[in-house]
Amino acid sequence: MADLRPILLVEDNPRDMELTLAALSRCQLANEIVVARDGAEALDWIYRQGEFAERPPGDPAVVLLDLKLPKVDGLQVLQQVKSDPQQRQIPIVMLTSSREERDLVRSYQSGVNAFVVKPVNFRDFFEAIQDLGVFWGILNVPPPPTAAPTT
Amino acid sequence: MADAAPAGALDLEACDAEPIRVPGAIQPHGALLVADRTSGRAVQASANFADLTGAAWTGDPQPLDVLCPEIAALAREVPAEPPDGALRTVSVNGRAFHVTAHGHGPLTLMELEPVIPGAPTSFEGLYPEVRSLLRRLEAAADMRELCAVAARHVRRITGFDRVLIYAFDPDWNGEVLAEDGSGALPSYLGLHFPASDIPAQARELYLANRLRLIPDARYAPVPLSPPLNPMDGAPLDLSFVGLRSVSPVHLEYMRNMGTPASMSVSVLVEDRLWGLISCHHAEPRLPPPPVRIACDLIGQVLGLQLGARAHVEAAEARNRLKSQMTDLLAGMTRSPTFAEGLSANAEPWIRLCGAEGAALVSPTSVIMAGRTPSREEVEDIVAWLNSQPRQDVIAVDSLPAAMPGAERFRTEAAGLLAVSISELHPSYILWFRPELEQTVLWGGEPHKRVEPGSDRLHPRKSFERWKEVVRGRSRPWRTAEIETAREFRNAVLNIVLRSAEERAQLAEELQRSNKELEAFSYSVSHDLRAPFRHIVGYSELLQERAPDLDATSRHYLENIIDAALSAGRLVDDLLAFSQLGRVTLQKSRVDMDKLMAEVLKSLELDLKDRQIEWRIGKLAPAYGDGSLLRQVLFNLVSNAVKYSRDRRPAVIEVFAESNEREAVYAVRDNGVGFDMRYVDKLFGVFQRLHRVEEFEGAGIGLALSRRIVDRHGGRIWAEGRLGEGATFRFALPHLGRERSVG
Repeated sequence: MADLRPILLVEDNPRDMELTLAALSRCQLANEIVVARDGAEALDWIYRQGEFAERPPGDPAVVLLDLKLPKVDGLQVLQQVKSDPQQRQIPIVMLTSSREERDLVRSYQSGVNAFVVKPVNFRDFFEAIQDLGVFWGILNVPPPPTAAPTT
Repeated sequence: MADAAPAGALDLEACDAEPIRVPGAIQPHGALLVADRTSGRAVQASANFADLTGAAWTGDPQPLDVLCPEIAALAREVPAEPPDGALRTVSVNGRAFHVTAHGHGPLTLMELEPVIPGAPTSFEGLYPEVRSLLRRLEAAADMRELCAVAARHVRRITGFDRVLIYAFDPDWNGEVLAEDGSGALPSYLGLHFPASDIPAQARELYLANRLRLIPDARYAPVPLSPPLNPMDGAPLDLSFVGLRSVSPVHLEYMRNMGTPASMSVSVLVEDRLWGLISCHHAEPRLPPPPVRIACDLIGQVLGLQLGARAHVEAAEARNRLKSQMTDLLAGMTRSPTFAEGLSANAEPWIRLCGAEGAALVSPTSVIMAGRTPSREEVEDIVAWLNSQPRQDVIAVDSLPAAMPGAERFRTEAAGLLAVSISELHPSYILWFRPELEQTVLWGGEPHKRVEPGSDRLHPRKSFERWKEVVRGRSRPWRTAEIETAREFRNAVLNIVLRSAEERAQLAEELQRSNKELEAFSYSVSHDLRAPFRHIVGYSELLQERAPDLDATSRHYLENIIDAALSAGRLVDDLLAFSQLGRVTLQKSRVDMDKLMAEVLKSLELDLKDRQIEWRIGKLAPAYGDGSLLRQVLFNLVSNAVKYSRDRRPAVIEVFAESNEREAVYAVRDNGVGFDMRYVDKLFGVFQRLHRVEEFEGAGIGLALSRRIVDRHGGRIWAEGRLGEGATFRFALPHLGRERSVG
């Protein structure tokens, strides 16, 4: 059963964004891909506030979250979502350039669902992104909605 | 007994009770006449006065002009206050006398001694001798030589068999510093005597009247006539009378000692009784008044010289201590910590305060040097110090009296000089001095020089008693030594403080640069990798979009991708290398056989299509960080695989050669080898001995391996010959034998 909720990609670097979108497009996903360019925008979208106050209700199928972001960085976004009982069921995958162990440790401590170091090799990168898209967008069965029932 | 020192072990209380100033009698080698200055009448005389002078003394007051007109003028001239007097040679009834006169209140006391034929009759005759003495005293190098010169000259002008220079310590114990003798009497040089040998009242008298003489201890005292002063009915004060009769106990002692004649001259330094010139003779001996005056002069000059020398010596001692301290501190700065500095400079450290042992005590360690109590006893001393009111410097010369239980180590530490060097912890620098008795016995074994004498009274017994007195005491700490300890304390506090500050500063800098490095590598890892990823990504997208590109363009694109990929690997390798300096080693016992199996498994892909003859020995377990050691082994084995790929078959050996200090592991191949000329370059970062197209790799594997082995406190090295293979070895210290590595 395909989960057709949107995928939220949070990425500030336009090239990474373009390459990630290119990779995702190959998965032939039916899910809408929403892009936020910094952490603040991502939180606004998730919480339906500010610019996104009017968006249709519903959680994303998955958030692909870059670690280094302007304004509110990825780790803060992760911590805020995962510490909020209303939102913590949203799957978050951390995407990062870094092989720094402490990023990994802190992300897992904050409840990240997966952590992906973007490989330099584009083929590997494609595969990783596609796997993620397929897993979270198609294969993953969403948890039953526990928030206020949607209309 | 107050008249000669060193005296014997007499009953102190009896001596204190002795009426030494008012004995009511004189010695018979002269006569005494007492005149009232106001009335000009003679009021008292010794019973031998009439016999000696031929003057008609009846015992009743009579005008001096009538009784003895030759001395009447002198009686009027003498100053009223003792001890200043006059010495004349006067002829009375045709007989020549030395007349010594001094005033005492309303009275003039005149002592008449017959001039001895052939003896010096005036001080002038002694002048050449005195002048030569003054010259020699000037030239004397130190205090002991001063004393020796004085003793020699006093003996020469008096002819006594033995002349001692006897010095008091602050507690009035005495020590014989110099001696000159004919050999007729035993030597007392180096002997010590207790304070009780010369009671306080005698010392007081010595201060006032500088010279005492007993020409013949077998004398019969001559009473005064009348016995009491007829004007006030009081006994006559003979304090300043040279003829004064002395205690019968003392005379007995003198006779027993075989020294019937004795004389002592006070030596004053800055108005304090410093010591005595003490003379003895095996026969009766009477040095005439001019000789005695010369001896008194010698005593005074000696006192002045001693005073001047003491000032100079104190200044020199201060300078010497100061320069010793400077040397010590300079020596200490060559050591990493001040504790190590002290133990490396033990001798100057101990000598600094004139001690025989020293210790540095902190809550975590006790460092001892020289002659000290045991470690436990030193800790007891520190516990005692902690129980005392806090002081920067504590100087004790009788620790057994001050500290319970200190008796047991009095031979090492009867004296303690302690400086506290921390406000926070009980930390001290201690100096120890042994018990004085021990010191002296070692110094001279004086008892061997003392010949057997009377059973009753003997200097040896006096010495024994002195030992009782100084039992549990050390040589006292001098002001200069205490001050030096205090200065040293300040210097040490500065050193400790400074090195602590320096360490703190260093740590801070280190932390800052570590943080900077971390921030740098963090941003490198994030930001430097991204562009390479983009290059590869776009190039591959381009490849897909343009399948019809010509061969050359495809070749270019492939090279772009290759270059970006290898740049990305380079960044990863560099990061791994820099991270290695920061990670903490997780050490444990490592099964190297298992590690080797894992390495082979991870090389499986590279081993496809290869013909390799493996010779893998049993590897001893290592102690270290397993995952890092796996990297080392992996690097060495994969290098061996890589550089032997042209061999058919390739032979790769892995074996251990442990010794008692370290575990050594070796990887040998029969590959291309290397020229030993370049061996130093092997382990450098990005150093390669082969062209890139010959053998792939960033050139970081061996540098990484060396860094890992270094961090384990081990070593790594290689041997090889061009075309004949290479052997790489690394050695890791066994558990417990690691040197500390930052």
